[in-house]
Amino acid sequence: MPQTITDIYLPRQAKVVQIEIENSQISTFVLAFSAPLFNENFRYQPGQFMLVSMPHCGEAPISISSTPTRPGTIHLSVRRAGKLTNAMHGLRVGDTLGLRGPYGRPFPMKELQGRDLLFVAGGIGLAPLRAVINACLDQERFGALTVLYGSRTPSDIAFQDDLALWQQQGVDCRLTVDAAEAGWAGAVGLVTCLMDGLTPDLSRSTALVCGPPLMFKAVLGKLAAMGFSDEQVLTTMERHMKCGVGICRHCHMDGKLACVDGPVFSLAELRRLKIMELAEAPASAARTSTTDHLR
Amino acid sequence: MPPAATTDSHLLKKDHLKGFLRKLSKEYRLVAPVRNRHSDVLFTVIDDLDGMEIELTEPPQNSLKQFFLPQQEQLSTYSVTPEGYEFHPTQAIIPPTVYFGVHPCDLSSVLYMDVVFSRRQRDPFYLRRRQGSVLIGINCNFPSPNCFCNATGSGPFIEMGSDLQLTDLGDRFLVETGRAPGHALIKRWQGFFSPAEAKDRAARYQAFLEARGRFSRQVHVEQAIRRLEAGTVPEQVWEDLSLRCQDCGGCAYVCPTCTCFTISDQQRDAVSGQRLRNWDACTFAGFTAMAGGHNPVVAKTAAIRQRFEHKLRDDVRLTGRPSCVGCGRCVGICFGGTDIIRFVERACQGSL
Amino acid sequence: MTNSINEIENAEVILVSGSNTTEAHPQVARRMLDAVDRGARLIVIDPRRTRLAECSHLHLALNPGTDIPLLNAMMRVLLDEGLADELFIEMRTENFLALTGVPLPLINQAAQLYGRARKAVICYCLGVTQHVCGTENVQTMANLAMLAGHIEKKDTGVDPLRGQNNVQGACDMGALPNMLPSYQAVHNEDFREKFERAWGARLPEDPGLTLVEMTHGGAQGVIRGMYIMGENPMLSDPTLTKVEETLRGLDFLAVSDIFLTETAQLAQVVFPAACFAEKSGSFTNTERRVQMVRQAVAPPGKCRADSEIIIALANRLGYAMDYDSSAEIMEEIALLAPIYGGIYHDRLDQGWGLQWPCWDRDHPGTPFLHKYYFTRGKGYFMPTSHIEPGEMPDHDYPLLLMTGRIYHQYHTGTMTRKSERLSRESGQALLQINPADARALGLRRGETVRLVSRRGEITLAAEITEQVALGMVYATFHFSDAPINLITNNAFDTGSGCPEYKVCAVRVEKIMTN
Repeated sequence: MPQTITDIYLPRQAKVVQIEIENSQISTFVLAFSAPLFNENFRYQPGQFMLVSMPHCGEAPISISSTPTRPGTIHLSVRRAGKLTNAMHGLRVGDTLGLRGPYGRPFPMKELQGRDLLFVAGGIGLAPLRAVINACLDQERFGALTVLYGSRTPSDIAFQDDLALWQQQGVDCRLTVDAAEAGWAGAVGLVTCLMDGLTPDLSRSTALVCGPPLMFKAVLGKLAAMGFSDEQVLTTMERHMKCGVGICRHCHMDGKLACVDGPVFSLAELRRLKIMELAEAPASAARTSTTDHLR
Repeated sequence: MPPAATTDSHLLKKDHLKGFLRKLSKEYRLVAPVRNRHSDVLFTVIDDLDGMEIELTEPPQNSLKQFFLPQQEQLSTYSVTPEGYEFHPTQAIIPPTVYFGVHPCDLSSVLYMDVVFSRRQRDPFYLRRRQGSVLIGINCNFPSPNCFCNATGSGPFIEMGSDLQLTDLGDRFLVETGRAPGHALIKRWQGFFSPAEAKDRAARYQAFLEARGRFSRQVHVEQAIRRLEAGTVPEQVWEDLSLRCQDCGGCAYVCPTCTCFTISDQQRDAVSGQRLRNWDACTFAGFTAMAGGHNPVVAKTAAIRQRFEHKLRDDVRLTGRPSCVGCGRCVGICFGGTDIIRFVERACQGSL
Repeated sequence: MTNSINEIENAEVILVSGSNTTEAHPQVARRMLDAVDRGARLIVIDPRRTRLAECSHLHLALNPGTDIPLLNAMMRVLLDEGLADELFIEMRTENFLALTGVPLPLINQAAQLYGRARKAVICYCLGVTQHVCGTENVQTMANLAMLAGHIEKKDTGVDPLRGQNNVQGACDMGALPNMLPSYQAVHNEDFREKFERAWGARLPEDPGLTLVEMTHGGAQGVIRGMYIMGENPMLSDPTLTKVEETLRGLDFLAVSDIFLTETAQLAQVVFPAACFAEKSGSFTNTERRVQMVRQAVAPPGKCRADSEIIIALANRLGYAMDYDSSAEIMEEIALLAPIYGGIYHDRLDQGWGLQWPCWDRDHPGTPFLHKYYFTRGKGYFMPTSHIEPGEMPDHDYPLLLMTGRIYHQYHTGTMTRKSERLSRESGQALLQINPADARALGLRRGETVRLVSRRGEITLAAEITEQVALGMVYATFHFSDAPINLITNNAFDTGSGCPEYKVCAVRVEKIMTN
């Protein structure tokens, strides 16, 4: 009767093969599992994430920023935020960390085939979309690709090597910054300002959006104004996570769990939920005071 | 509706219960509700059958949750060596256990936990404990003042889910077999059991009817479920509950179906530590707090809202029934007055 | 407390002053909220809009330090409206003959509610006592209760909520400079003689020093050595620089504690102590209830109960002490402390303990006090007038600092900060500041600021909230990395020596980064 059940919580060891410093806050870690056979057979899809362990730091969810069309390593692009991510920034090539995954509902790559894709990202938000962009370029089954990318300042622009490569391969990349620096000749302003000049073919376009909450809201508004339906907008949600497998519920979103029902969602799905990212009015600061209601 | 005539019901005389338990205790770890010397009733491991008072009517203050999902459990240990950073699995040895005298609410909660821990992924820590377990339930003839299992569809009598199900008929128990382990037990110890007759099954039905009439509370769970699904619970209800909820997490700790947990590393020295799983509560503000300080859940109204939506809406969508089993434990522990019965009352107030 | 915690449920009006009850005494708050759900009216006196204030019917947000004028005003209303309990006053009392920021109509409303109720309780906590006029504040509350006749009956009373689970027990056992156990005064020859006979030793004739007298200068250097048990004055006492100077200046310091606290780190000898689950004995809570505490696990390593440490020390110092168990010690307490006269471990083992006074083995204990007479005979009205706090805001230090507690942390955090969960919920020191004050300083949520007073300065993160009024800021004393008592004032209540933690003048500075 007793059977061995896989220990789904046990991380595997992975080694740092290479580190790309994207900017002062973000680095991309190129990793390979220490066990060669496992590494060879490891599969994932764009939009999925890994739970990363660092010594004494617990675990944190990090989106996979590489494409499965280039197996052998996986990329995790990490921004300094808390204890674990800061510890990661102390890693050197050859160091090890713990990984388990892949988890989450990926981007619907099959449904996106043949479509024009508009990627809108801010800061670290470009990381999960990078996986999709590179997958599209490798598979050559997609329509026109456009990348709109916003950063704080020109020095903060991450993934510059990728952006240059994509530009060479025919991706329409447009950049903007919140604040210019000397020598910057490009756009200044929120990433929505880059959307003004676009004329997407709405019959075959999908927008993929990822970035901080304020940017997200502004971009949604602009996309709606441009004629994108909620079904044509995809995003990936960020939530505190622990188990990654839909049991512990730290990532709850009005009945959904970001780790298994997401993190990729369409805007149409999100509109059916009461979540902070889509809240209309700010939550009231003061509570009501009378207890008469409690009778 | 009276149970269909079945060949699988037996009688066990009350006088013979202890003898049967003694036999079981030689082959299994035995857990049952025990009244201790302070008069508290708690599910306890029986290590002294003659010296412990087993209590089958008054509900135990704890549930079976801690036996299947311990309050703290080691998932793994880790070490940092010249070979690198590695995790080592923990394999707790769980003896096969008979859980005896489990009321329908607590039985229902185990069935719910089965879904949670094997639905999407199979949780090895839970399943290791569950696989070696035998559930011997007892139907409730005398619900307690805070009980409302009739309104949640999880009592006072239960038709299936246990391996053996007892009903107290006065001087004897009616024993119905459920799953295969139950049949096996009856067969192994058949000397203790005699066949039940139609009059015994009729007595069970009578006991069921009387039990149903003994609830002190009328809680309109079904109405609350519908209003939650329709999204018609007024915003004011959430605001008032948030005002009174004092974020102690007590409800989640005593609730038999609250299975939310957190995972954290506990450092032992510079190069080693353990990874632990601990019970957690969605009503804590920190439950959803992200690194960097952002919290997508506005604690003021949304945390306690999540609690009740989970139990009375999300789980209904998932399993067809609420995960609240009507045991009333949260009513006893909540010091702010925001237990689930209070919520149901507020949610059902007024017309739409 | 003059009555019992469960009686609060039955009050018609509950007047709470200086108590953040849901966060500091949740189980007492439970009774208050139960009473409210049954129709009772809740009045909260607190400068801050605490969780309890949000659940109240009337919140009197007084300026810190103005309790006396506020309560006197309420008494004025009772007299003017004819709500004073004249029969009670005549039979049970003598000497009757009476700034705040609270609008008069609210005071009126509060007074009427309290005066018209048949059963009303006053619950108060450190918001009342941690002032230079703490003693006078309490006297004024007693005046109010006597005026309205809300004392001596079941479900009425004046109820202080003690700050630790056994501080009542400690005081009962004479951990006070002027009292032997059971509140028998040190200067009373008969009482002293009784203890001298029982203990076979001479006892001092005069009161000793208060806690703060000891830790602030050690009576001008007279004290050369200290043995500190389970207390962390390096974080909890006011004017921490003085405390550190005093402790470092001692010839010898011994500390017993369960963790190496900031105070223990200064000691020459540290005794590892057993915690509550590792020893057996009793605790006495705020409602005078003595309850058993039973050992559940063995103490780790070499940890021992404080009693064992003291007994071992005493024997080595040449004074023979021989107690085999805490039950035996309780027998001696029953012998010498009249209010514990009938309290023994075998009695405590049954049920829910005993409330003192419990005079002998047959006495059932006392749920509420002063049933037929007060301790001094008749209750005495002590007229009080407003006493200014030791330090008020001025041009250089324009904000008023109050200090207190929050739900998830306890005192100096020696235990609670070891818990990952509690630290997840409340992991850092926060300075509560009103949005208008924050705006004027150009502060953002969570921004680190410098808090400065005449005594010192610390840095901590700003929490911008309406919970605290304009001109006031609030911080807790739980976090050793932001020791708020470097900031607080060394002003004390003359009667009790209690420090004025609730009022001092501060300045908040934005920290400029390059």
